[in-house]
Amino acid sequence: MGQRSGRQERSKKLELALSETMKAEAEVQNNKEEDEEPKAKDQRLTSVFGVADLKNEAIGLYNVGLSCCLNSLLQVFLMNIHFTGILRRITVPPHAAEKRRNVPYQMLLLLEEMQCGKQKAVSPTALACCLSVYRVKLFVQHDAAQLFLTLWNLIKRQMKKPQLVEELNDLYTICVQEHLACQKCSSESKRNSSMLTLPLPVLDSSSHVLKTLEDCLQCFFHPEELTDHNMCFCEQCGRKTPFLQSMKLVHLPQTLTIHLKRFCFEKSADIHKLSHYLPFPQDLDFNAVLTENQCQADDNEKAAWKYELFAVVAHSGSTSCGHYCAYIRSLTECKWYCFNDSEVCQVSWDDVKCTYGHSNLHWGETAYLLIYMKKHPQ
Amino acid sequence: MAQWQEVQSLANAYLEQVHQLYAGAALPMAVRQCLAAWIEDQNWRQAVEPLSSHARMLFHSLLALLGERLGSPGLGDEDFMLKHNLRKARRDLQAEFEECPEKFANLVANLLQEERRILRLGQAGEQGGAALAPGTPPESDREQQIRRRLAEFHVALQEAERAFRHLEDLQDAFDFCFKVHYLPGEDRTSDPQYAQQVQALQAKLQILDRQRREVLAQMQQLLGRSETLRDFLQQELGAWRERQQRACLGAPTDTRLRPLETWFTELGQGLFQLLQLLRALGDLRQKVTYERDPLKAETPLLERRLRELLSYLLQSAFVVEQQPSMPNAYKRPLVLRTATKFSARARLLVRLHDRNHRMEAKIHIDRDPPKIKGFRKFNILTSSSKTLLAGDSPQDGLVCDFQYLTLKEQKDSRSGKGSKGTGEGPLVVTEELHLITFTLAYAYCGLELELETSTLPFVIISNNNQLSSAWASILWFNMLSSDPKEQQFFSAPPPAPWPRLAEVLSWQFESVAERGLSREHLLMLAEKLFGSKPPLENTLAWPKFSKDGASGFSFWAWLDGILGLLQEHLKQLWKDGLILGFVSRKQEKKLLKGKRTGTFLIRFSESILGGVTCTWVEHPTSGPPAFRAVVPYTAAELASLALPDIIRDYQLLVEENIPENPLQFLYPDIARDEAFGPYYSQRQEGNLMEQKKYLNRRLIRVSSRQANESCKTEEELVAATENLEALQLQPGGLGTQQPGGLALLQPRTSGTLQPRDRGTLHVTSGNLGMLQPSSPGTVQGMAASPGMLQPGGSGTLQPGPQGLEPPRPQQVGSGVSEMLQPGIGDLEPQLVLQLVPEGQGPLQVGPGGMGPLQVLHGGLGILQHAAPEDQGTQQVGPGGLGMVQLVAGDTGMLQQVGVGDAGLLQPVLGPVQLLLLPEGQGTLQPELRDLEPLPGSPDMQELLQSLTEGLKPGSGTLETLEVAELMPDMLEVMNGGLEGLGPRLAGGTALLDPHDPFLPQPEDTALPTVSSLFTAAGDFPPLHIDANDFQ
Repeated sequence: MGQRSGRQERSKKLELALSETMKAEAEVQNNKEEDEEPKAKDQRLTSVFGVADLKNEAIGLYNVGLSCCLNSLLQVFLMNIHFTGILRRITVPPHAAEKRRNVPYQMLLLLEEMQCGKQKAVSPTALACCLSVYRVKLFVQHDAAQLFLTLWNLIKRQMKKPQLVEELNDLYTICVQEHLACQKCSSESKRNSSMLTLPLPVLDSSSHVLKTLEDCLQCFFHPEELTDHNMCFCEQCGRKTPFLQSMKLVHLPQTLTIHLKRFCFEKSADIHKLSHYLPFPQDLDFNAVLTENQCQADDNEKAAWKYELFAVVAHSGSTSCGHYCAYIRSLTECKWYCFNDSEVCQVSWDDVKCTYGHSNLHWGETAYLLIYMKKHPQ
Repeated sequence: MAQWQEVQSLANAYLEQVHQLYAGAALPMAVRQCLAAWIEDQNWRQAVEPLSSHARMLFHSLLALLGERLGSPGLGDEDFMLKHNLRKARRDLQAEFEECPEKFANLVANLLQEERRILRLGQAGEQGGAALAPGTPPESDREQQIRRRLAEFHVALQEAERAFRHLEDLQDAFDFCFKVHYLPGEDRTSDPQYAQQVQALQAKLQILDRQRREVLAQMQQLLGRSETLRDFLQQELGAWRERQQRACLGAPTDTRLRPLETWFTELGQGLFQLLQLLRALGDLRQKVTYERDPLKAETPLLERRLRELLSYLLQSAFVVEQQPSMPNAYKRPLVLRTATKFSARARLLVRLHDRNHRMEAKIHIDRDPPKIKGFRKFNILTSSSKTLLAGDSPQDGLVCDFQYLTLKEQKDSRSGKGSKGTGEGPLVVTEELHLITFTLAYAYCGLELELETSTLPFVIISNNNQLSSAWASILWFNMLSSDPKEQQFFSAPPPAPWPRLAEVLSWQFESVAERGLSREHLLMLAEKLFGSKPPLENTLAWPKFSKDGASGFSFWAWLDGILGLLQEHLKQLWKDGLILGFVSRKQEKKLLKGKRTGTFLIRFSESILGGVTCTWVEHPTSGPPAFRAVVPYTAAELASLALPDIIRDYQLLVEENIPENPLQFLYPDIARDEAFGPYYSQRQEGNLMEQKKYLNRRLIRVSSRQANESCKTEEELVAATENLEALQLQPGGLGTQQPGGLALLQPRTSGTLQPRDRGTLHVTSGNLGMLQPSSPGTVQGMAASPGMLQPGGSGTLQPGPQGLEPPRPQQVGSGVSEMLQPGIGDLEPQLVLQLVPEGQGPLQVGPGGMGPLQVLHGGLGILQHAAPEDQGTQQVGPGGLGMVQLVAGDTGMLQQVGVGDAGLLQPVLGPVQLLLLPEGQGTLQPELRDLEPLPGSPDMQELLQSLTEGLKPGSGTLETLEVAELMPDMLEVMNGGLEGLGPRLAGGTALLDPHDPFLPQPEDTALPTVSSLFTAAGDFPPLHIDANDFQ
């Protein structure tokens, strides 16, 4: 939860995700020629592995040193059959040293270990060591949203096959179009960009508590006027003018990650957690939430914007110290599980609802990342 | 229940799965069965860990136990086969797992896990099946879930404790090794043995660390699940609160706390156990810690989370079990009267406390008083603190029971205005909401908290006549507010949606007379309130409910009047559905039109408070059907004669006709006696002859002519008669049985403003051997001897008070007809007295005051006309002053004054003393209405004027009378009337002792005061009124 954020940080945050994404995209270009495998085979594999996942009970991951955050995210990745379908097709690095440093490969090993053994939990030590090579340190409290981006970018960068990279992109990236319109001369500039998460504010622009997830989405896509010292330079007008900044949704991926920015700065430096009640639905239809001019997509695309909650990464405690756990709805059994490091138990929707938050309880679990899954994959 | 036992009780399909599970397993089922409890109690999962000696220890323990069993005589010879199997199993196990006990531990752990899975499936299946089985008590999903989760929570807690013990063992082992083998001072890096030992030590530390993390993860998981459980309990508690609020409104709901108490206690107990476990973890850290010790970082976090959870649980577990109420408030809690005892009780649903620690509970009233000007402040008398008692048996729970509390208003209560300030605050007392807060200093297991809970808001009144409107406030609040701390609710009371209001109104009837309102009733009420608009979308504003009303009283006052009437007199009839009750005139005609002559229905009067009437249909030979209705009976009449008896004996007097009972069939078509037979009071028909020496009594009526008319045609008179009621009383046994004969006379004539009463005269003739007006006092003495008529005493003189043209109603009752004391006549230019001896046939009633009086008399009676025209001038008090004043020329003045319970009257100027008989105690005393002044505002005068005009032409018709009934302000019934009386008259001449503590504040009476059934006897002191004051 150490993430700096707040309203004004939104664009900065986007850039971070973008720059990572662009780098990855560049790599895709480089690796294109390696894509030799026929597509049909891939698809067959996907289906086989997809079903094979989770033939056992859900397996826990031992905490190997403040790794609850990593553990929760790993569970979210590995319980996602769409992701493991990609993961299982990676090229195994030839050398032992490379193997140790290859994040996707280590993840795959971990997955295998979780699935084959009859142990109740396995230890992600090897993966944790591998990650520490990339400055993802152990014994450090991570912010789940940040770690998710880092992890995802690492995976993407180290996947050699462009085909897989593309699939991974398709699976996770959200496409939006940013509009910037001068209020004086009505000249408009557009920019397409992609994001890995929708970083939703939980307070509106006047710091009032937003009531539901839908409200947060509305608020996120609500046009913002840039006036006073936020004014931008308009080339047509030749001076700084007030602008209207808005964002339109272009494309939503199969796995949609929503980041609830449950923190705020009270007195400049001091960040504290917002634990108020914020319900989120099990079924989310973006067409019902966003208005016509908040979208920039054809009917086909929009028809697919019906989502089902797949996982919740919840945080308990304060910004300085806390604990993460993950609630994941198994895609094969359609049952909810709660993953608390090595402890896994089957739960119900009522337990998940407990992560809505509570304004009087500051130490309880509150949802931090919401992962929604498209109901009817295209 | 132990797992293995539960497994065995599974349904066959699931048992089959268990058999399959063991068929291929290396652990024979015989062993599982034989050592079931021990096997379940071990932590096999932990034993699986590599490098752990735990598995080996477990394995050998198992073998040893098996050996013990084999040798024990318990098995004896009776199960030779079993013994053989066990022996074989022991040998096999030893052979197979001796070298790798971890494998065995893994095997057992997996078997147990699989068992649990089958068990879950089986139990879920059973629950599904059980839900279909008939006869199972309906239990909500949530209740089931709570029970299931509580059970799961306990199992998980036990597992955590087991894991903790294992951790302790590991730590002890490590600690020992560490102390023995680790020798830091010396440089022994070259010693390979030492290096090996350090390595082993390092491995042990790794295992210890993992175990610590595992225990922590378990606790995190436990806390997560208990949060869900807490949410469930919270929801249940919320539902209970709602039920309690509804129950306060009279809804029939279940407000038991026992299940909640059990659940809260169980969860609380579990969480406290967890807290202790956490502390024990802290102790472990004290003994052994190392770099990046997970306990160091996570225990404080867990403890804070747990403490927060516990505090929240305890805080919400402190509830007001019994809302403040007066002991005899009869289903109307939350209305408290100063200086009257009341009680309230709070309960802590978490039944855990330290017996050595005294917990003190306190109560406070209005701890954070709302900032409303003039908001009264009160003190709670008697002790406001109490040591929390845990009942002798644990069943009783932790209860703070405050009884015998009383409230006293603080001297300087209304800021700046003195105790009897003019009350300029925006809220009247019945809209002032007060709160009592309970606090409890709770301490248990090192957790110290100040718990706090508040009652629902209540209204504090100082007098019973405020009870009805206070209750209206309570209804409104609890119907519309879910925030019990909203003391300023009535600063801007929201309107009530009709469906909600309808439900609440129905509860009122249900709680008073065990039968709610039907759809038709509610439709009629909705129509009355909203006209023909669809009622579902309508809302009713608070003032419209409780304050204004076209008929001079509010909607609520009207309903409460009816409730009072039902409670006192009509409970059984209402309960059995004989009273149609709420029927509009239009509807009533529609219903009766198609019925045969003599079909009648009983409905509540819409024009007077607490009145019930019968309407019947007549089909004349030609012309449209006629509908007749009796002037409504109020509690006063019904007190003397029950409604079924009235219906049985009802007679309609028609000129030159034999009186007949027009009430033949109860709507829709039930013969009268069939419908009401069970409710008739016992008649002593046989006594009729014996009673011959007495006269029968009969109530008749008198119609008085309009003042400016010198004569009236016969037809008019007849018409007037027809529309009025004729009542015949059968001789009801002995004289003592009829206290009501006279009492009946008084209450209904309420002055000129109620022309429907005009001319109604009840005269009792005959055998009232004993007059027993219900109030003691002078009256009784006067009426005691038969043969004496003391019209001044036992009869009532009720000259109309106000200056209206219509004739004033006059009522005279006389106890006995043989003798009349002279002298009344000259007082009463207006008075019409008619005595009807038995058997004299219908009586024709003389016209009003100015005209000559017709008096019929029979053999026994003496007729007296008390109102010679020229005997005196009549002075009518000005409307504004509103006093009753009759000046009878030089004969002096007649003062009529209503009296409270004591029945004391002191007219000063008049030569004649009039005594009004108070009705039975605690019932209506409507005679006081006569004393009410007219508001004197121009529009009121206009209204009166128009009314008067309206009355002139057709004073005999029902319709006109109804118009008259709508006169505002005239129909207000004073309960114990004095309170209402004072302030109203105060405008002109104050008369009431201002120091009387029972007098209400002026603003109290700004609301229509309404009679209530909840009046206790003896609440009001006698009132002394000086006639001078009325001028």
